[in-house]
Amino acid sequence: MADFTTSTHRKRWILNPNDLTRRYQTANQRAVDALQKYGATRVEVQSDGSLTYPGAGGDGENGWKGSLPEHLSIEEELLVRRFYENKIQQVCAAFRLPNKIQATAIMYFKRFYQQWSVMEHDPKNIMLTCIYLACKVEESHVSAEELGKGIQQDPQVVLKNEMIVLQGLEFELIVYTPYRSMEGFIYDLEQPFVQRMGTAGLQALQGLRTAAGFIVDKMMLTDAPLLYPPGQLALAALRIANQEEPKVDLDGYLQDLPEHKRLQHSCVELMAKLDAIQLLVKESKQPLEAEVRHIDRKLKYCRNPSLQDEAKGKRERKTKKGDRKRPPSDVAMANGVHEPLDLNVAHSAKRRQSEGDVMI
Amino acid sequence: MAVAVPGQLNLDETPTWGSRSVDVYEKIEQIGEGTYGQVYMAREIATGEVVALKKVRMDNEKEGFPITAIREIKILKKLQHANVIKLKEIVTSKGPEKEDNIKPGDANKFKGSIYMVFEYMDHDLTGLSDRPGMRFSIPQIKCYMKQLLTGLHYCHVNQVLHRDIKGSNLLIDNNGILKLADFGLARSFSNDQNGQPLTNRVITLWYRPPELLMGSTKYTPAVDMWSVGCIFAELLNGKPILPGRNETEQFHKICELCGSPDETNWPRVSQLPYYNQFKPERPVKRRVKDVFKHFDRHALDLLERMLTLDPEHRISAKDALDAEYFWTEPFPCPPSSLPKYEASHEYQTKKKRQQQRQQQEEQAKRMKVIHHPAPHTRLPPIQQQPLRPGPHQPGHNLGPPIHANGVSNQHNNNYNRGQGGNNQNRAPGGGRPPHGGPSQNGGYGGGPNRGVPGGAYGGPAQQPGAYTAPNMGHQGGRGGVYGGPAGGGAYPAGPYGGGRGPPVGGRGQQFGGMAGGPQPPAYGAQHYMQQPTAQYVDIDGAYARASHSGFQPPSPPHRPDYRQGQR
Repeated sequence: MADFTTSTHRKRWILNPNDLTRRYQTANQRAVDALQKYGATRVEVQSDGSLTYPGAGGDGENGWKGSLPEHLSIEEELLVRRFYENKIQQVCAAFRLPNKIQATAIMYFKRFYQQWSVMEHDPKNIMLTCIYLACKVEESHVSAEELGKGIQQDPQVVLKNEMIVLQGLEFELIVYTPYRSMEGFIYDLEQPFVQRMGTAGLQALQGLRTAAGFIVDKMMLTDAPLLYPPGQLALAALRIANQEEPKVDLDGYLQDLPEHKRLQHSCVELMAKLDAIQLLVKESKQPLEAEVRHIDRKLKYCRNPSLQDEAKGKRERKTKKGDRKRPPSDVAMANGVHEPLDLNVAHSAKRRQSEGDVMI
Repeated sequence: MAVAVPGQLNLDETPTWGSRSVDVYEKIEQIGEGTYGQVYMAREIATGEVVALKKVRMDNEKEGFPITAIREIKILKKLQHANVIKLKEIVTSKGPEKEDNIKPGDANKFKGSIYMVFEYMDHDLTGLSDRPGMRFSIPQIKCYMKQLLTGLHYCHVNQVLHRDIKGSNLLIDNNGILKLADFGLARSFSNDQNGQPLTNRVITLWYRPPELLMGSTKYTPAVDMWSVGCIFAELLNGKPILPGRNETEQFHKICELCGSPDETNWPRVSQLPYYNQFKPERPVKRRVKDVFKHFDRHALDLLERMLTLDPEHRISAKDALDAEYFWTEPFPCPPSSLPKYEASHEYQTKKKRQQQRQQQEEQAKRMKVIHHPAPHTRLPPIQQQPLRPGPHQPGHNLGPPIHANGVSNQHNNNYNRGQGGNNQNRAPGGGRPPHGGPSQNGGYGGGPNRGVPGGAYGGPAQQPGAYTAPNMGHQGGRGGVYGGPAGGGAYPAGPYGGGRGPPVGGRGQQFGGMAGGPQPPAYGAQHYMQQPTAQYVDIDGAYARASHSGFQPPSPPHRPDYRQGQR
């Protein structure tokens, strides 16, 4: 059987925490080095695997003569990733895509950015490409044009980055998501519960399932999916949901699970893993809009430092005019670098009006 | 310092941010040809290992990386089995290569291509059986069939439908191992009855089951089993058993052999979209046992169960493996005991024959003798008893062809002419199915970029020929228009965007003759295309919105995919 146990997901894409940290460091360092050496971090991968840095506007080393922009710290990179992962959920919700696709897109995004720094590839574009690709892979195709139209972005951006994302994923496209595992556990729990408690048991389980679904959504915005298999993520989500509002005897179920399912782990090991996941969820925080705005600006200058001076010039002019109210990020917008990502997808405009003014 | 200075990367190692370059391989020769590119035999320079490179061209793709290639990669990364072709890696090319024939102005549009790297296999089943003088033994046929069923069973339990089972997609190496290849049309399915509708335009016509011909969009692994039945019979029979030239004829051939479907032999068949259009005027009796009475009892029994009209009662791969046939003498031989042959891919054998034929034609011309090339014929397997004397002449392909189901020689030649320019490598070259791509591709399925440009994604067709052709088919008299320019063998720039065109031409002629006959109106015109639907439009639910330039697609045109996430 080809299932999770034989999958590339299990073999290749579940990392240990130290490895993951190291990968983030490596990517960050590569971008920082590039910034010093070439004056910009935006990178293009040539088909022979070599990297070029066109962002500086010149030819490599001697390109950029102006002042060097400030690079992002590893922590700032994390916030940027979180922000865009959250955006993936919003865009997927706006398009009413199944949560399997949402989770797949986020996993693509995560896998991509454990190799690359957000300074190297624009996360907004990569985010859109990940959604596009997830739809394609999961047989719910949304055309690039339609996707672009729905969120008022250039469809070409999506297509242009498709190859680099595919390569970043090493063409390993099947992702196992915790949503599905959770359904499995709920199904498993159902029979004993309904036997014991009748329809009340069924209702309790439904409640648990809904609550745990929201926890999984939250969990997708942490590093947990890169560190733990989907089954453990699902169990941890059920456990969190059940702790918040106890509905079923989950601990009893978990006690029996390793023996019952002939797991490799003992109960103690399993619990330790679940605790670790729960901690990740608990500690995760969503970056504040203002925070991201600030980092995003730094990010733009890293990728293309020439914007920095233009922006400075404009800011000075504006200051002279006394127009202090406009946030500096508008400057970049005026330069056509960042348009607001408007989520007014036609059929969900009503549901999601609040998204319209989100800047990314 | 982790930054690589451009040009300084060590190419011997896979960089973490990409795929290796195709330059780590040296191409030896082309072994297949198709729409999304060519298939090459190549050697990895560093190791000397021989591989097959299947090219996926990336230009001309409105929707980026072709969905068929995505599916193929996704599925092959998932399936790991001795009887399923192994995808070794994906490599990229820097830019235009010499065989890409980029026009000077287009050079900067070229986005490079990617290659799927497969293990190299020496033969495909069609190429092997078309070798002059080739004759399989019964243990050999059992051995191939067993491997085919084992591989297919593995696909089916892993919820993958192959959807293009045919001889040229079954690769065989010199150790006698058979592997399923070309998953370009394959896709995952769910057992869930409410699943997405699947496109019924799959599977090469001669191997296509009746439920697909009648427009079913909710089908099961049984579709593949029908194809297996056709191949099984073909192996025993020495030639294809259901060589229809279009869908109507295909259906009639099925009826002639398997009887006409009705509510008794196939409950709920009348609910299929095109049942009424196809229903024969008089019920026809099943004749499998008569037609193949020379097969041994167990073979016939198994064949009967594979060629069962009702897909629900058709035998599964698993049950077929348990059939008496494989457990009675002569037993299947071990693969390693099979003879080793010089490499033969359908693409190559066909090419060789084509060259031969050209020589003969030239000769004939010189002698001012009009000479119709006749199909190459295969030999039926070696039986226990001495062979019945037959008209098969090993090693020479001018003998009168034998036609299944009473199709006359004359008929066949008409067909060939109807194919326009394609006839040179169509039927006369061995009677392959009336398909543009798939039959050409030599198993790795470099062939058809089926349905990707325009069709699959719902954008308007970019290549004028691709979409207008089916509609024109109805007008009749257009025969040859599309097939014409393609010429034998090479189909330089067919309607599929850089690929070879399907032999649409013949159909026009076909329709000229059929005007006034029962023509199902609701039936998507492209159903009459004499080509593997396969490469044509792959709507599969999500793609159902494909704008089929003016005709109504037979499957529900809504996209069911914006479902709310279930929670």
